[in-house]
Amino acid sequence: METTEKKTEEEERKESEKEKEKEKAEKEEELSASEIEYVSYGGEHHLPLIMGLVDSELSEPYSIFTYRYFVYLWPQLSFLAFHRGKCVGTVVCKMGEHRNTFRGYIAMLVVIKPYRGRGIATELVTRSIRVMMESGCEEVTLEAEVTNKGALALYGRLGFVRAKRLFRYYLNGVDAFRLKLLFPSPVLQSSLSMLTDSDSGHWHNDHIPIEECSEVH
Amino acid sequence: MIVMKVAFVRDRDRLHPLEIPGEIAKDCVRRRSQEKARALVVGRPASTSRALLVTDGGKADAGKVATGGRKPDGGSAQPLVFLSGDSPVERRKPSFPLLSNQTRRASSSSMDQPVPERSSIPSGENSVWTDISPLLAAACRDLEDGELIHGDNFNLFAAMSALEIMDPKMDSGIVCKYYSVDEAIENGAAPVPISFDKTDDVRCTIDIMDHLLACEEEDLFTMNYGLPLNGNGDDKCLSMLNAVEETSSRQLRAYIEPLQTNLDLEEGYCKALLCRLRFRKHFYHVLVCLRRPQGRGLELARKHIASCISELESVLSSSEFLRSSASLAWEDGLENKTTASGCQPIGFDASLNCRLSAPTPPRAIKILSWKEAVEYFLKLLHDLDILCLYSLEPSLESILNFVVQFQKSQPDLVARAHLQLLLVQDGKIHGRDPVFSIINRAAALPEATKNHDIQKNEFILQLGQLEMAFKKECGENPNMSIEENAWVKIFQHILVWVEEQTYWIASRFLILGFELELYSPSEYSMVYWYLYVVLVKLAEKIHIKTAAANGSGKRRGKKKRDTPKDAAKDYRIPPAVLFLQCQICLAEGLTMMLAALTNEHRILQSRSPFNTEHERFIQHFELLQKASIPDHIAYPSFKASTSYARFSNLLMYNYFKDAQRIAKEVKSSFSNEPEKLAELRRLEQVAEHNSIAMNVICRVGTLDPSLKVSFEFNHHPYFATAVVKRS
Repeated sequence: METTEKKTEEEERKESEKEKEKEKAEKEEELSASEIEYVSYGGEHHLPLIMGLVDSELSEPYSIFTYRYFVYLWPQLSFLAFHRGKCVGTVVCKMGEHRNTFRGYIAMLVVIKPYRGRGIATELVTRSIRVMMESGCEEVTLEAEVTNKGALALYGRLGFVRAKRLFRYYLNGVDAFRLKLLFPSPVLQSSLSMLTDSDSGHWHNDHIPIEECSEVH
Repeated sequence: MIVMKVAFVRDRDRLHPLEIPGEIAKDCVRRRSQEKARALVVGRPASTSRALLVTDGGKADAGKVATGGRKPDGGSAQPLVFLSGDSPVERRKPSFPLLSNQTRRASSSSMDQPVPERSSIPSGENSVWTDISPLLAAACRDLEDGELIHGDNFNLFAAMSALEIMDPKMDSGIVCKYYSVDEAIENGAAPVPISFDKTDDVRCTIDIMDHLLACEEEDLFTMNYGLPLNGNGDDKCLSMLNAVEETSSRQLRAYIEPLQTNLDLEEGYCKALLCRLRFRKHFYHVLVCLRRPQGRGLELARKHIASCISELESVLSSSEFLRSSASLAWEDGLENKTTASGCQPIGFDASLNCRLSAPTPPRAIKILSWKEAVEYFLKLLHDLDILCLYSLEPSLESILNFVVQFQKSQPDLVARAHLQLLLVQDGKIHGRDPVFSIINRAAALPEATKNHDIQKNEFILQLGQLEMAFKKECGENPNMSIEENAWVKIFQHILVWVEEQTYWIASRFLILGFELELYSPSEYSMVYWYLYVVLVKLAEKIHIKTAAANGSGKRRGKKKRDTPKDAAKDYRIPPAVLFLQCQICLAEGLTMMLAALTNEHRILQSRSPFNTEHERFIQHFELLQKASIPDHIAYPSFKASTSYARFSNLLMYNYFKDAQRIAKEVKSSFSNEPEKLAELRRLEQVAEHNSIAMNVICRVGTLDPSLKVSFEFNHHPYFATAVVKRS
């Protein structure tokens, strides 16, 4: 599905010359960040808010059934961000068995324009990912438009890799990247620490989790 | 406020309302507007949270539907709203047709029986349409906020395929003014004939020809597929084209009755019409020639390609005349126009097409402009021309090389499909050579293999991979028969060859990641490291193969042609290996440089709150790792080779200098291969720039916190060049 958080040119320029303004900007961000309230999906009264944000900000049209499918089955994975009572962002997710893997899926992530670049999307999606991790997901996936630099940077910072490119995935004809975030496997972790202890350079890892690679698209 | 709409169609058979195809959905809307409501659309404005889905014929279903919803305490909803057991389906490109069998049946049966009123959906035998508005209204009254009635097969895909009727974002039919070509003709949108004024008629016809060239989606150009233009087949189409062309050219020479009435415009219109017709004819010939078996039509195809290009140029230059004669002042040029004249063509309506596609939300079909369409065809013709230059040499290496080269101009689907048709016909390479004989030659198998029984084995490749096990069983046996010995020999050859191919494909796989932009700069180091490891293996295999071929004393294949000085040659590293060596040095150099930047300058680092570089390594190379390509290579080996990378060490062993040196040395061996020479030049440039960049970083870098290093692909598509700046 999709993600907003597109970076405007101005924001990108700002980033490149941020050295001097950095401190000041950080203070501002902190100030506004503290005013943002994050809420887990709490029922029908939240649905119109989510639908309104997604309808106005994302390119794909979704039916009401799509929204309900997500928020009713996985209310714990959906979050809303409020600023002084106004809903300014939301994330909608799901999780489930997918070809022998228990994986999370980020369906929609939206932050309205005036509030972008303040870490709200990162906070929203981080909350969802944390719940997925605690629920036993092995990985998290999503799709993002290849042109959406802001979203790609955001997910890159969170550890997502671009697993594949989906040709003309969206209705508007734009390609998508399938992004994946693999959580560390407990087996792998302990093997790694053993490795550090023994300082062996030729350790062969045969505990790589099996993950599907041949999805149809 | 979102308005929720539900459609229900009564039929004998079960019809999932979530999959109501566009036709029916729109028919419902129409019926409603015509007040002939046998099928119903229920709109409940202001009740955003209510939905009603009926899965089967009305009351019969009342017992089957499940409801659920918000807990009385206002807490989160219970999952029982959606039936369990249905595994959610992830979103895919919604391109599959959802027309259910009923619909097809319904539309086909409509031909058989007289249908009262204007209806395309008969109720079927033993059933009638009935008004269920009261039933639905009553059901809605019983629903609480957030409740949903749904069928057994309600999953994400069903949810995503649902159409909300009367919502322009969802319902492609709502924007239609008419529902068929006949209706369009009837209400004047597509008049036949276009005009009784002959000049207008010609002008509009040319517009239509231009628009047809532009109006289809890139991969749906019917012209490119050579589909018959009418039901009578291609021969008829071609003879008609010829006849019309003949008439037009006579008109141009004023032998017969003029094309239209305005004599001043006669020549211009005739010429414009002629070049369009001729382009179409030659293009058709191109496609026919390309399809001739065994590449026999390639030469003739080139001639038609040249004609197509020259006709397209005439088409382009006709624009000026057509624009001036259209007597319309276009201030903003032709940028978004689909015709050479800049006029809107008569009789086209994109929304009509929407109704013909699957009942997905209306899809934004990007129509090429006229200029873009002509450019598209010029590019396609150019790609096809390259295809026609293909040598048809039955050598695997040259086939693979040609495919790689061909891809560089990024040919579109149509050109690629023609290449594939050319490469493999009737299960044979170029329709001539059995695949086995090509592999035989490529793997440098002994001559005797050609007649060996092994040919009959279709699993020859898999067997080759089992060679090691096989060798253990009988390879050490001194009492082996001659027959067994021959098998062992063949397998040894094949194994080396299979390994070489495997590593070559692995390297292409890694490189493809750059082309698809799958790697971020913080991952470059591990990607170049993996590429380095694979290329080393590849060079090793090529070396073994070449040595074996030289040792066997038999001079076969391409490699040996240029060896007059054989004696000296055996002691030299083969040029193909040196070529790889140059890439190996670059890959290793980039790995180390990137690692040193991370280790010493703390740039290009990526710290994720959820995982580590290890997980990203696993994800990028999972396929190769699963196939053990190469053996005993995993993340710890990467860390072991890079964690101590420092610029001081890199200066002592300068990989980029080595790459430069090898590139210079090996050039003379490829003097007859311009592509390889060009590649060597690119490699040399990357090496040179990176060598300089490394010196700069070493000189000022370690002390200077304002040092900025970025990586660009301006000299080579996948070997990056470091750009050093101080901010």
